[in-house]
Amino acid sequence: MPAADLRTQSSDAPRASSSSQDASLVVDDLCLYYGETQALKNVSLTIPKRQATAFIGPSGCGKSTLLRCFNRMNDLIDSVRVTGSISLEGQDINAKDVDVAQLRRRVGMVFQRPNPFPKSIYENVAYGMRLAGKMPKPEMDERVEWALRSAALWDEVKDRLKESALGLSGGQQQRLVIARAVAIQPSVLLLDESASALDPISTLKIEELIHQLKSDYTIVIVTHNMQQAARVSDYTAFLYLGELIEFDRTDDVFTNPKRKKTEDYITGRYG
Amino acid sequence: MNNPHISEQYDAELDAARNLLMEMGGVVEQQLHEASQALIDHDAELAARVRENDVRVNRFEIEIDERCIHIIARRQPAASDLRTLISVMKASTDLERIGDEACRIAKMAAALADLEYPDDQYNDFRLLAAKAETIVAKSLDAFARLDVDGGLEAIASDEAIDDGYDALVRERGSTMRQDADDIDRAVNVMWAARALERVGDHAKNISEYVVYLVRGKDVRHEKVQRKAGN
Repeated sequence: MPAADLRTQSSDAPRASSSSQDASLVVDDLCLYYGETQALKNVSLTIPKRQATAFIGPSGCGKSTLLRCFNRMNDLIDSVRVTGSISLEGQDINAKDVDVAQLRRRVGMVFQRPNPFPKSIYENVAYGMRLAGKMPKPEMDERVEWALRSAALWDEVKDRLKESALGLSGGQQQRLVIARAVAIQPSVLLLDESASALDPISTLKIEELIHQLKSDYTIVIVTHNMQQAARVSDYTAFLYLGELIEFDRTDDVFTNPKRKKTEDYITGRYG
Repeated sequence: MNNPHISEQYDAELDAARNLLMEMGGVVEQQLHEASQALIDHDAELAARVRENDVRVNRFEIEIDERCIHIIARRQPAASDLRTLISVMKASTDLERIGDEACRIAKMAAALADLEYPDDQYNDFRLLAAKAETIVAKSLDAFARLDVDGGLEAIASDEAIDDGYDALVRERGSTMRQDADDIDRAVNVMWAARALERVGDHAKNISEYVVYLVRGKDVRHEKVQRKAGN
């Protein structure tokens, strides 16, 4: 899929160059302040395309804040100020001419608690596509089925598409929300503790889904469950007190981390 | 040195596995020493004791494995904890094999016990046995202290054991050619020396696990630079 233009109007503004062809998101010297409080301190990292990257760290380390920078969810908080840059496939997402709604179509987000709309299963998935424009019904049906299949939910709901989404189990609702996000074909999926409030089987299903989805999407997951990060991600970033302490291949972070702070955190030691 | 875990019980479990390995190491060191001594002294009784002790060594290996498996299943260890457990399990396998080699030497000792043999005929074997005991002691010491430099020294010293074994085989071969009556004795000594050479290899493995445990670097089957700091 070619990179969609995020800008509201055509502009000749130079694009930030990514450090690699395989980069999805490039974060450079990012600082974020909530009023006077600095929540992210000079964070720089490159998130690879079509891989799963996990952010781990103790509560308040800035991992969710960083995740929310990728689709500018922090814009909703008045006191937030951001310096540094983030580019998505070469485009600065904080540039003045960026259409935030368009950005959020390209960078989908799933939260900890499943939040289906009080509508039918079908309508939940079709919702985003309807916002994007009219689509003939047969095409819409096809896309809904495709999205539900992508989210490994189709077989469980195909006979009750017109029923309320609120009748699904928590794990099914979360997969429905993922189907809704996938339906509009984003390039990045942000999962903010999305498999944290589910039972162990549902959690494993979501984890398996992450594994399948990453062949098409860049996945960034925030989790306080280190074993989950170890299971699902290709790369792991460890944040502590707003700083990026270590970012490396998950295999290396969990067998031989380079920084002592990382070692202490993942082995459950006093820092 | 690592900080303690938030769970003190976890620290206690890891310490227990490590301590058990060290205890096993002590038993195996003694077994090795007594096996060589039994051969040199023609002491069949001591040789028999060495072989009886093997059961104890085997039990250690099983208990260490069980403890490590429980920790892996219950704690999902990562980073240095994971490397510690893997190294402890692998080292216990090598220690058990060293115990087996000691038994092999004891078996040769029993076969030689009734034969006449002048004491000085064991000088080359005695020297080789001392080297094998030293590499085992050094490797266990490096494991206990998490001492990479000590481990690298032990790895390097294995070459001297290989050379010592080659020299012994050449020497015994030439003795056999000169005196056919000596063949039985020489063959037994050569088998026992072969066991010592294998002991060196197992001790070297243990030192390689020390490097892995501390640095996270796998140096097996590598011509590693032995210098400290590499």
